[in-house]
Amino acid sequence: MKRRITFVQRVDAAFDPQQAVLTASSLSVHDLDAARQDRITVGLNELPEELRAVFEQSHELHFRWASERPYDAVAPFTSRVSPGLHVLYTPLDSDSSSEALCTLLRTIVAPSKDAQYKDCLKPEDSFITPPLLSTRFASSASLQYHTHLPDIQSLVKYIENAICTNVGADSNECRTWASALLSADSVDIDYDSISHALTVSGLWIDTPPGGWTDQFNKPASPTDQIEFGLLGAEAGLEPEEIKMGGLLAVIGQDEKLKPTMFSFPSRHQPLTEPATYTASFAPPTGLHPTMSISMPRSSLKRPPAPSTATCALHTYLTLPSAIFGDQYQLATTDPLFLDSHNLVALRALAGEMDLEAPDWVVPRWGSNWLLELATPPKSTDTDSTAGSSNWTVTIPLHLRYLPPSETGYRTAHVPWPIVFWACTAEDGTKMGVNPFDRTNLGWDGLFGPRTMFYQLQPAGERLVDDIDVPVLRIEGGDSYFQGKSIELGTCVVISLGFFWVLWRLARVAWSSGLGSNDGKNRAEAVHDKKE
Amino acid sequence: MTLFDSPSRVFLGAIVLRLVLLVYGGWQDAHSAVKYTDIDYMVFTDAARYVGKGQSPYARDTYRYTPLLAWMLLPTAWEGPAPWSTLTFAFGKALFALSDVIAGWLVTQLLVRCYRFPVERALRYVAAVWLWNPMVANISTRGSSEGLLGVLVAALIWATLTKKPIVAGLILGIAVHFKIYPFIYGISIMWWWDSERDGAAPTRLGLLAKALRFITPSRVKLTVAALGSFAALNLVMYLQYGQPFLQHTFFHHLTRIDHRHNFSPYSTLLYLTAAGGAETRFEALAFLPQLILAVIALPLVLAKKSLTTAMLAQTFTFVTFNKVCTSQYFLWYLILLPFYLPSSSLIRKPSLGISAAILWVAGQALWLHQGYNLEFLGLPSFVPGLFLAGLFFFAVNVWILGIIIRDGGEGASEITGEVDHPKSH
Repeated sequence: MKRRITFVQRVDAAFDPQQAVLTASSLSVHDLDAARQDRITVGLNELPEELRAVFEQSHELHFRWASERPYDAVAPFTSRVSPGLHVLYTPLDSDSSSEALCTLLRTIVAPSKDAQYKDCLKPEDSFITPPLLSTRFASSASLQYHTHLPDIQSLVKYIENAICTNVGADSNECRTWASALLSADSVDIDYDSISHALTVSGLWIDTPPGGWTDQFNKPASPTDQIEFGLLGAEAGLEPEEIKMGGLLAVIGQDEKLKPTMFSFPSRHQPLTEPATYTASFAPPTGLHPTMSISMPRSSLKRPPAPSTATCALHTYLTLPSAIFGDQYQLATTDPLFLDSHNLVALRALAGEMDLEAPDWVVPRWGSNWLLELATPPKSTDTDSTAGSSNWTVTIPLHLRYLPPSETGYRTAHVPWPIVFWACTAEDGTKMGVNPFDRTNLGWDGLFGPRTMFYQLQPAGERLVDDIDVPVLRIEGGDSYFQGKSIELGTCVVISLGFFWVLWRLARVAWSSGLGSNDGKNRAEAVHDKKE
Repeated sequence: MTLFDSPSRVFLGAIVLRLVLLVYGGWQDAHSAVKYTDIDYMVFTDAARYVGKGQSPYARDTYRYTPLLAWMLLPTAWEGPAPWSTLTFAFGKALFALSDVIAGWLVTQLLVRCYRFPVERALRYVAAVWLWNPMVANISTRGSSEGLLGVLVAALIWATLTKKPIVAGLILGIAVHFKIYPFIYGISIMWWWDSERDGAAPTRLGLLAKALRFITPSRVKLTVAALGSFAALNLVMYLQYGQPFLQHTFFHHLTRIDHRHNFSPYSTLLYLTAAGGAETRFEALAFLPQLILAVIALPLVLAKKSLTTAMLAQTFTFVTFNKVCTSQYFLWYLILLPFYLPSSSLIRKPSLGISAAILWVAGQALWLHQGYNLEFLGLPSFVPGLFLAGLFFFAVNVWILGIIIRDGGEGASEITGEVDHPKSH
């Protein structure tokens, strides 16, 4: 098992050398003001059998969990996904994916009764297939899954039980490490069949009250290793580069913290000026909610990419199956429609697109939408409009019918989309050398490998919007009155109507038979002509 | 001189109304993000574009129509420079609007020739119900294909009343291929078209002879022609587009869930059942009342007394008792109203007619109000709102149906006099 602990301090954070002390057997930090990334790498042979089975059937498997709490990202950890659990999966054998993965998912999601959790039976039936830019150089996984997941207690419990019990002497440290994940802003789990190793990393952007105070001991087993880094990040010499400097050490090997300075190209870049957005649904949402993404105009300055680069503003929506977009409506090229919503074009879509199906017949979890957004026109009188009002993009969406409930409503948890600039980078830029590189986010694979992303920060108290979906109200429990009365009421009224029409017909047949009644109607025709 | 004594004035008015709406629609589409054009028309034209590229129209999701429709709209797939593409895009709407006008013309001709209406009186009814009805003009110029059904049904009645069994059969086959429901008219026409209609003297016969006499040359020709055109069209479409054609044009209607709110009295029940909340499977029998009335009872009792009233009552029943009902379905019986209304008790007794109109509109208004609460305000108005509104609207429709049946029993709007040698007017 390998562990890598990285603290990244903001430029303005205070640091005293006494705050990080390295001894022969341990390293301790106290009151450290920094973002923290904690990553462990476990060999496949260190995992329990059931878990190994899942990975052995995978070409690659990535979990991306993001909290619903907002945070201000810091370089080099600026990439984001929408809140919830994302799974990106490429089976080793494209014909037979792992049912064990679905079992694992059910364990770590531990769906509650009310959750809009789409049960996973087989990944190819429950996952969606993102569009591939190129099948030869597949840059994204072939299958994708998402579910609403406000906390990861079940995942942590699973890690404690399945992984920590297998790591021998360090199991207590493993448990401490695992339970710390509960407060993380995001958690990544990665496996690929080339490295045959499982990586779990947690990210804490905000410093806990009083700062980080922790002690990391030299691992018990000589094959294990703990790396420590205390770094700061700033813009590199080239626009696509990030420069990092600080102190590094391997605990138990190094005698003192080694100063270091290095720079690397990074696909995820910070925006130099604060840029935020909010996502909301204007009430009443009805059955056709409109998602509004609102940004202060000051947030929409072009990112600090090279002037030769082409940049465009995008949003990437992760929608549970209860809510969906009409692909024909959104894929339109009609400038009137697009301008009225401040959209440029629908760039990619995947998942459940059925316009008519109710939620209970939809087998997969939902859909993803990549839309290019318009930016405010460059007006000459920038001073009068800049910052004065928000720039709002609207995306018309629709709700599926959900199963009846006792209250007449069900909740659709819609995670906020992410909003970012995508800029072209120069040819030959190698993004992979970044030690903090992060790929397989679902949306990054929709762009070429040499694209730089500048993400806006979501600014809200909770990054999930709950939409009340009106449904048929049925009193539950013992008094199953409402459902029965609908059945009975319909049956009685239709039957009455049916027999009433039959009776009317019978009266006609009784008085004048089934044939024509010529004589009578001639008289009537004459009567008609007189009018 | 009154407004309606000149056919050219009425038809010119109808054409101008549609042209104005077509131009206005083009203008609104070009200047507003809210489109005049119906969403269905986008489906048709998308499908036509697929056909133009040599692909199947069913490549377009929710295209649930005969490929004939996409073929007819092929000109809309033509992509030329700006002013021309606007014109070609409107081709289908113009075609639907023209079908409207032709349907109106056919109905007028029938009223004058077969029902011996004075031209002015015929025009008054056709204009009021169909030609100058803004709803009809609006629906076809927005690009809904229901207008095509209007002309097919009008042509079917024309071929029947002028005793052209083969033509009637061919049209019937096409109409059923287009929209299934016109098959109910086939039953009425068959029952109506006895040997006495073909000029035989009425005779008293035994049961067996009666049964044998049921098989007349007209009925045989009609049946063969109808089955022939229906089968031929389906065969051609199946050979061309295979299983998707059958699936989307026909089987879809058997397997669809119809859980979304609509005017049908079954709507709430279907939602409950589809979501697995119902204990009985009553809705599985929904076709029984609908078909017993529309296919057996109504033709049997009314067709010989008044064919068009029987057809109106059948359509009204079919729509009222259907598991799904949207406002475009109302157009199905509108084309038959000019035959029925002039001699109906709804017109003879204005208080009855006005009550029926008020109740029908009230039923719609109640439902639409609940629908608005659900669709736009997000209120869970399924129960009791939409449920009761749907049942009330059903009750009103059944009551009106009773009036139509009584009038039909009295032979309202039966053709009068000889029709074989219509006098030109």
